[in-house]
Amino acid sequence: MKGLKKYSVIKSFSHIYVEEGVMDHPVTREIIGKFPGAVKIGIKHYKDVFCRPRQNFIVQEMSRKLILARKKGEIIYSGPEVCQDFGNKNFYYTSPILNCIYGCEYCYLRGMYPSANIVVFVNIEDYFKEVENLLKQQPVYLCLSYDTDLLAMERIVPFTSRWIVHASDKRDLIIEIRTKSANYSAIRQLPPAGNIILAWTLSPSEVIEKYEQKTPSLELRLKSIKKAADDGWKVRLCFDPVLYFENWQRAYDYLINQTFATIQPEKIYDASIGVFRISRDYLKRMRKIASASEIIFYPYEERNGIYSYPEELKEEILEYVFGLVRKYLPTEKIFI
Amino acid sequence: MFYIVTAFHTEAKPIIEHFGLKKITRPCRFQVFVGDNIVLVESGMSIVASAAATSFLLTEFGAGTRDVALNVGVCGAKEKSLKKGDAILCHKIINHDTKRAFYPDIIVKHAMKEGVLETFSSPVDKGEYSESRIEGDVVDMEGAGFFEAASFFLPPHKIHCVKVVYDYLDGERVDPVRVWEYIRGNIPLIENLMTCYNVLDEWCPEFFDEEEPEIVREISRGLKLSVTMTYQLKFMVRSYMARHKREPEALKEFLNVKVSSKNEGKIYFERIKEILSH
Repeated sequence: MKGLKKYSVIKSFSHIYVEEGVMDHPVTREIIGKFPGAVKIGIKHYKDVFCRPRQNFIVQEMSRKLILARKKGEIIYSGPEVCQDFGNKNFYYTSPILNCIYGCEYCYLRGMYPSANIVVFVNIEDYFKEVENLLKQQPVYLCLSYDTDLLAMERIVPFTSRWIVHASDKRDLIIEIRTKSANYSAIRQLPPAGNIILAWTLSPSEVIEKYEQKTPSLELRLKSIKKAADDGWKVRLCFDPVLYFENWQRAYDYLINQTFATIQPEKIYDASIGVFRISRDYLKRMRKIASASEIIFYPYEERNGIYSYPEELKEEILEYVFGLVRKYLPTEKIFI
Repeated sequence: MFYIVTAFHTEAKPIIEHFGLKKITRPCRFQVFVGDNIVLVESGMSIVASAAATSFLLTEFGAGTRDVALNVGVCGAKEKSLKKGDAILCHKIINHDTKRAFYPDIIVKHAMKEGVLETFSSPVDKGEYSESRIEGDVVDMEGAGFFEAASFFLPPHKIHCVKVVYDYLDGERVDPVRVWEYIRGNIPLIENLMTCYNVLDEWCPEFFDEEEPEIVREISRGLKLSVTMTYQLKFMVRSYMARHKREPEALKEFLNVKVSSKNEGKIYFERIKEILSH
């Protein structure tokens, strides 16, 4: 199968769509400079390409294109209810990039966006301004990497570094950068900042091999985390989403023991645990495009517009995984 | 299935000859030629004619998301960097009148040059048109109509305009022999694109949504299921197959059931729901 794909499909980022208004933006030039062989196509608005009708997300995932655009209108949003605020007030998130290079089978982005192409909003300076305006009113807890994996994109566009540099002296700003990448080396040259949390999503190898096929292995992720924690970064571990499958207990036993055998528990800032959950509309769309995904077709139960495991199973999973993490971290550092 | 739209017979002829297409004999508004997995229509010149012929073709032959639509024809090039006879796979198609742009997804490998196509309502002569008013690398009179019409039926990675450079917008008279030669010379590139689509389709999972599997149709008929119940059954079967990676064998026992009332059907339907929930 892989051979067939190689024979017929163009490699990702073969084409870069650029909004007319950002052709000369320094970030645009920087990105384009990294893809000298790519075909550049001028567009008026990113939605002209990103929101076309009848796009095939699964096919596009095989050959993703880059779309470089300017983010206009609302830039920072209130934190969604399905996401953990880790006890922070004024919880916000922003999306400097739409879509992720990994394409995990269970990822809500497959149900959220009409296209698998990756939109980079190059006007990072407007994001910074918006945060500064918000900081004039209140302290801010801002998550940067929900609708993408920012660190995984660092070699293409170094937004993680720029956010870290920009935010590190802002006392009232706490930033979370969530990733599955093993790309810590891309930001290792930066001094650790006390208000930046590097959050790694961890899954058992069984889950990575089956549902997160394009992500780094557990071993590579743990190596990255260890380096970051040893360098003095605040590191968050996200056992989220926890998935239910045959022998899930054994898989999560191994994952958590392995994690804390690699990384000293006292170097972990905090951890979160959450079972798979997804909004009704996203799941509906994912079921349309993912024709043979057992994870998408699990008979989830709906509660307040969110699909997840039946209540009893959900409680069992959370309790079990909490018990495993509790062996290594104090309760107050574990968020469910 | 590959659906090919050309404006003129001179553009269609080398394709018809190469693929051994036969003209449809039944009365038809457009000239249509069919062959093994290929149907070709000659639209005539203009944006509207191309859109009409494309819609006709894709409707008449029941195009689905696994099919591909190609607009093949000659064009004029703005710059001499493109040589006469070069085939251009267009990655942006602009309707000059409306300024609306269309973007095919370039997913499969190809050996053509790429460029922007601009479709005009009337012939373009560089002597009368300043170059700055021409946005496209190449110019034609059909592409945007074809693309917009095909977009109602197919995903954007299955719609392409392949344009072969004939002149440099200098009002050169069209020589049918040269058109034939230019199109004929690029058939290997077009065929290569088509082969890549065939390979992609082998790789891509079947999209279950397109039509009901036979077993769902049969059971629905036998149990007198309503449209909603049939839709639910289809979803349950799909869901079961995704979870178990096989068809639900236990459903076969319902294939020969013929109920006499809808209520009886509902009782069977509840049993099926129970079986497929595991």
